[in-house]
Amino acid sequence: MYNFRDYLGFAERYVICAEEENVDTNFFLIPSVLLSWVAIESFINNMLDDFASLPEDMFELHERALLLEQRVRFVDEGAEKGTFVLEKKEYRRLEEKIFFLLAKFGKTAQLSKGDKLWQNFEKLKDLRNDIMHPRKYMDLKLDVVIAKHGLTTSKEIISFVSTHVSGKPIEL
Amino acid sequence: MKITFDETAKEDDRIKHIVTEFLDQVETLERKMSTPVMIFQDGKNLAYYIKCSIKAQDASGIVDLDAKLDIESTEGYRANRELLLNHKTYKTMKSDAEAGREFNDIIVEYNLKYNKVRPLKVWGGQHRIRAISDAVKFSNRYHGFRIYFDLNKKQRTEVALISNTNINVSNDTFDRILEETLFGDYLRKWCQEAGFLKKDEDFPSVGSKAERITVKLARSFMVNFYIGKEKGAQLKSDEIDKNIYEPYLTETGVVIDKAYSSLMETMGSKILGDHSLLDAGKYFLALHNAQYKAVKEAKTIPNKKSYRNKAFVESILCGWAYIAGLLQAHKTRLEKHYKIPKTIGVIPDPLNAVEMSKFKHDNDPPTYRGLGTRSSLKDRQRVAQVFLAKSLQDSCSLDKKFLLKAVSTVEGLLALKKGYA
Repeated sequence: MYNFRDYLGFAERYVICAEEENVDTNFFLIPSVLLSWVAIESFINNMLDDFASLPEDMFELHERALLLEQRVRFVDEGAEKGTFVLEKKEYRRLEEKIFFLLAKFGKTAQLSKGDKLWQNFEKLKDLRNDIMHPRKYMDLKLDVVIAKHGLTTSKEIISFVSTHVSGKPIEL
Repeated sequence: MKITFDETAKEDDRIKHIVTEFLDQVETLERKMSTPVMIFQDGKNLAYYIKCSIKAQDASGIVDLDAKLDIESTEGYRANRELLLNHKTYKTMKSDAEAGREFNDIIVEYNLKYNKVRPLKVWGGQHRIRAISDAVKFSNRYHGFRIYFDLNKKQRTEVALISNTNINVSNDTFDRILEETLFGDYLRKWCQEAGFLKKDEDFPSVGSKAERITVKLARSFMVNFYIGKEKGAQLKSDEIDKNIYEPYLTETGVVIDKAYSSLMETMGSKILGDHSLLDAGKYFLALHNAQYKAVKEAKTIPNKKSYRNKAFVESILCGWAYIAGLLQAHKTRLEKHYKIPKTIGVIPDPLNAVEMSKFKHDNDPPTYRGLGTRSSLKDRQRVAQVFLAKSLQDSCSLDKKFLLKAVSTVEGLLALKKGYA
């Protein structure tokens, strides 16, 4: 399986291809933006897996639910009646996972929604959503500068989370 | 002939007597020319020596390349590294000797307490003396010797070490020399008992070429077993999996490792009677043998030395031994730890060397070479976790998913340990 560095590398190569292309640059820029997003997804999911692999009693149930992306259910029958259990998939948004990691493990640094980095993250998310959920009335605004900006944002988010959760900068 | 002490040497009649005896017995240029012989004394270790010249033919008959550090021992372990007779440098040396080159500062000890027919025990210049001996029919000229007298064990060790410091001598040779001098032969005997070494076999002088356990590895195994044991005795069963463990790697070379030194001061010969340690050694050897055999016979993975000897990679050995110690107080898990990891069609070797070498975590730099391939603390911590996680299961193979989870656990614990939670 590829890791976040691979995805960042792919995204970068697509940008380079777009710079060399004179006609239909979106042919390269669309995958570049998606891969920049995927890099963050990959990094954050793997970081959650690191914590999810720890002994169960080191986290509260609702925290494990987020780590494992599962639903908490109250059991009202059978041997486990009266308890809470985890079951089925319940996918979380990427920003929820980032906020959880920072709140739980990076208390010295929080990312405010007003911060420039977070605003850039929102821009990348909007662009990714525009690509993933197209509508005929939408006008996709994408060029090399925007794609490069998305790539930089991806790297900065990964670096920020790594520094404040693992306590050390990550080699990108 | 006149024999005098150098101005910095303390006069000693006994030494003078031994030097006189030597000069009477051995044909030297000094005796032939009746030139005065000066007795020097090393300012640091106080050992006495002379400098003299001996003809190649005379020297070749009385030098002993199998010099021993412990002359009281009846066992015949040689202290020097193996001769590298096919090495390019040796071949040049021999060719030079045949052409009549003079060699100097060959360091020997005059000692009649073993192998009396060859009283000059070689400590420095064994390749030169071998080249001189081999070339004697082409050139029988004088060569320069430094001859030590009446050395005690400590002086002898130091002479051996300083004589070998200038040339490319492996740390494994230094370790072997120091081990015997400082601690005796307990470690070697333990390795023979556990099966790491055959009866009468010694540690290799160059571990990387020998495919058998070195002094450094054997020391690391023991230290890790005991520090793991101490740690495990303090933990309840539900606490074991909530810690990051730090297997220890002993130092190698001319510096003696403090943790090992401390262990031997406490344990000494008792290590030979510790059945739990011996069991651990035997189980680890079983793992090594299984890995070796599997790689050698497997058709789906390359028969590479690094794969065959995966168990002897420092991080693997240290991590395994630490967990063996840790689980001494947790017998059910210890039994599982001692089981050799299951092999399956796509994973023909117990340690899954191929997958380990490809392994990479997100936190690893792009240059990371894989799990269980180096000796760094990070690698030792991860390997310890692999074996700890394995001890939770009756039977498992070290597949990619298993390795990922184990390393994830270490990374998660490390993040928690940093105090951000």
